[in-house]
Amino acid sequence: MASLLTKLRALFDRPPDPVALAEAERLRAVYRERCGHFRHLLSANKTALEVMADMEETLRGGRPFGLHYVRGASTRVTASVFQMVRALNSLTEDRYRDLYASFDAVRTAIEACLGSRHRSERGPLVLPIADISLDMADETGGKMANLGEIRRRLGISVPDGFVVTASGFQYFMAANGLQEEIDRRIQAANAGRLDEVFALSSSIQSLILRAPVPDDLAAAITAEVERLAASHAGPLRLAVRSSAVGEDALGASFAGQYRSELNVTPEDVLDTWREVVASKYGVTAMTYRHNRGIPDEDVAMCVGGLVMVDALAGGVAYSRNPLDLRDNTVVINAVAGLPKAVVDGSWTPDVFVVSRDVPPRLVRREIASKPGRFVCDPVEGVRLVELPEAERTLPSIDDALAVEIASLAAGFEVYYGEPQDIEWALAPDGQLVILQSRPLKEAVHEAPLDIAAAAGPDVPGGGGSAYPVLLAGGAAASPGTGAGDVYVVRRDADLLGFPDGAVLVVERSLPRWAPLLGRAAAVVAEAGGTAGHLASVAREYGVPALFGIEGCVAALEGAGTVTVDADNRRVHPGRIEALLERTPPRNLMQGSPVFETLQQVARLVVPLNLLDPESPSFAPGNCRTLHDITRFCHEKSVDALFGAHEGSPAEALAGKQLRAGVKLQYWVIDIDDGFIDPVPGKVVDIANIRSLPMLYLWDGMVAVPWAGPPTLDAQGFFSVVFESTANPDLEATAASPLANKNFLMVSADFCNLQARFGYHFCTVEAQAGDDAHGNYVSFHFKGGAASPDRRVSRALLVAEVLEEQGFRVDVKEDALFASCEGQPREETLALTRLLGYLIIHTRQVDMIMHNATARAALHQRLRDEMLAVRQRPAVVVPYVQPHR
Amino acid sequence: MNILIVDDETEFLELVGKRLARRGMDVTTASSGEEALTLAEGRVFDVVVLDVKMPGIDGLETLRRLRVMHPTMPVLLLTGHASLGSAVSGMELGAFDYMLKPVAINELIIKLNEAARLGGA
Repeated sequence: MASLLTKLRALFDRPPDPVALAEAERLRAVYRERCGHFRHLLSANKTALEVMADMEETLRGGRPFGLHYVRGASTRVTASVFQMVRALNSLTEDRYRDLYASFDAVRTAIEACLGSRHRSERGPLVLPIADISLDMADETGGKMANLGEIRRRLGISVPDGFVVTASGFQYFMAANGLQEEIDRRIQAANAGRLDEVFALSSSIQSLILRAPVPDDLAAAITAEVERLAASHAGPLRLAVRSSAVGEDALGASFAGQYRSELNVTPEDVLDTWREVVASKYGVTAMTYRHNRGIPDEDVAMCVGGLVMVDALAGGVAYSRNPLDLRDNTVVINAVAGLPKAVVDGSWTPDVFVVSRDVPPRLVRREIASKPGRFVCDPVEGVRLVELPEAERTLPSIDDALAVEIASLAAGFEVYYGEPQDIEWALAPDGQLVILQSRPLKEAVHEAPLDIAAAAGPDVPGGGGSAYPVLLAGGAAASPGTGAGDVYVVRRDADLLGFPDGAVLVVERSLPRWAPLLGRAAAVVAEAGGTAGHLASVAREYGVPALFGIEGCVAALEGAGTVTVDADNRRVHPGRIEALLERTPPRNLMQGSPVFETLQQVARLVVPLNLLDPESPSFAPGNCRTLHDITRFCHEKSVDALFGAHEGSPAEALAGKQLRAGVKLQYWVIDIDDGFIDPVPGKVVDIANIRSLPMLYLWDGMVAVPWAGPPTLDAQGFFSVVFESTANPDLEATAASPLANKNFLMVSADFCNLQARFGYHFCTVEAQAGDDAHGNYVSFHFKGGAASPDRRVSRALLVAEVLEEQGFRVDVKEDALFASCEGQPREETLALTRLLGYLIIHTRQVDMIMHNATARAALHQRLRDEMLAVRQRPAVVVPYVQPHR
Repeated sequence: MNILIVDDETEFLELVGKRLARRGMDVTTASSGEEALTLAEGRVFDVVVLDVKMPGIDGLETLRRLRVMHPTMPVLLLTGHASLGSAVSGMELGAFDYMLKPVAINELIIKLNEAARLGGA
């Protein structure tokens, strides 16, 4: 086969001979196919690196993501790496079949991380409350398990009832392929965008509401309702309440995210159950799970059906001050009628503070003006009854009951071994009934707060503040300070326009505003107490909240930027940095199941162990991560395509060294019609290049002479030296014979450059044909020698410059991906030329990146020179007689 | 370019079909694997975009049969169910790539061009 070269040469020395022509055609076909595999490999390589960078950034970024992100990213990177393995083997006549085994091992391990989270065994679909205890929380949800436990062990009055179990829920969701369809819809949407979540939520909920309940499940529920009706005097009404599995785990409060229906008739129980199930996919709940990293499939919606208590009064008791668990008091929120008004934050409740001394002692009482009370409607549901003016300021419960509730709460805390959050009701017969008890989460805060200050009487004029005060008073529902632009939300539609980092201002502290808490700097509400759902979520998210400031909407609307100091119960105009020195916002994702899953997967994907291509350990068997495989495939494919050895059959098909005056460290492969004349030798002259994208790239590279590495200050220099010694990859790769070479693949309309400039890798690819739709130019680089922050800073600078030129740019850590598609040939070529300029003139600029003045000057220079590069004359390929 | 899009979600078919047609592509749609196979009997497409989860003959089986009929016709899998297993199975059956919904129309077009140019191997 050494005759290949001779044959090719012969072809052009003699008049065409049909046999030789056919042979040349065959060679061309083989050649084109090889180039095709290589391009496919490069494209997959790019996707794989993009996904890896994205995974890393997602882990570091603290921005919420769902399990579908983890699954999607894993699938994308796995599919891409498989393509690389396949392409490399096609390119090398299956020389690296061993890679499939390494790939399979990694892939199996990734699949295990993502593995099914469902329990396989199925328990009873429905359980009566008498059969429930705390250890059954997996089947009944925490709320119902606790109620069962309280009834059983503590002998305290709780309503009779039943639970439709996690098994019942999963049975229903599996019955109609419902879960699968839901997962598909979630993957296809963007859970980070509230408008999409709204659309998704409504489509999924209506899917659930339309799904038929399997007969045996419906029969089991009906049987329990009939049992209750038989043992109940008078017409039976039920409270149908969510009791999701995982509701109270993970330090996640899930407060009020799901639907609960009060005073439901027996006939409507089944439909109501389905509605509560559907509320798993309510906007509030979906956003909450997304923000907290809770996988959808970990949440089974168990639902309790409890005999309705037509409460005379009700509310919430905290066995400790939720703002500071060290504070030795029980805090009770109470309203007349059903406790709903407290939980919903509909209006400000009465607050009773009881000391935990023996015997307990009422420390303080604040009686709010309550506009009404919720009562059971004689037919169904709940009705708001307005209170006559004279009754509004009457205490909702007497002091004796407050002390009784407090003793109970303190007792629960002892029993459960941790502070409790208890929903209670005063039944018409005067009995105290417990509706719910769950662990109380403390707000994230450095300094302990004085409850008296946090919920004391109003401070007119906000006395004592060194700063101007817009508003003062109310109660600190969640501690801390935050600043941002005021944004008033009145309706759901207002949610969509909520800007990141704004101060949320509402009339009532309703749970439905919770989706904004992941993005709000602070919350201010006219009505609502510290025991409402929104308050719990605010504390959980570490968002400062000030509730119960009358007239705050009118006072703050249009106020622009304000600083909310919840600790001191004041709102100041403007942004007051001195007050904002708080602990940074929590990373709510860290430690969550979704976060941990991504971490596990990333360990199998991202680390690079194969560093030195010259080392004997650079082998398929040592590929332990997808990055290893990616690296191996890239190295070996370049080798296979460009690195043909003397006399090997591939030599004729190998790359030609580029000559522009002198021979350069660039090797060019013509994948189709990129050369004007055939090149039998080892060197191709720049004048023989027909590829316009390559010529434009080249024109950009040589347009402005490179001034050499920037002048470094000592720090910049040491940063480079340090990285070079700390990062063996930099040195090791330099030892490879291919390491200092740059590779170009070209056809008339196409060019791909794989280059290594200084310490960073970069790829430019451009397709510039007649059809604008198929045109694109893309640019990718990563790495560098300076410290990571300087590399990131350089990536950001290059990103800025490229965006100004019309590129779409994505920076992930120190990696940059830029592209522009669908432009006409001329513009695509112009952009390619700019990239040529840029890859030369941003070499090593990471070294001066910490210096703001130097950075600004560099930015300006790049801008000016790019303008000049844009104005260079068109590159013309001399018309040459076609050679065939 | 001659494209066949196969998906049981008719809304998706219409939307993507329209958008690709606007970009100058010749688009044929099929709402099931069976329909796709019938269409492919009579003609060769530059690229086939195939959903994985469909009632009746699913995407992977459709892919297998398409590969028998036209071994060099590139097939892109595009699915709403991210699954490592089906991704690798699809690639082993010779799919050009495995993409996840939602996909930006630009990204899809670039991938279609790439498949038309490089696929078929």
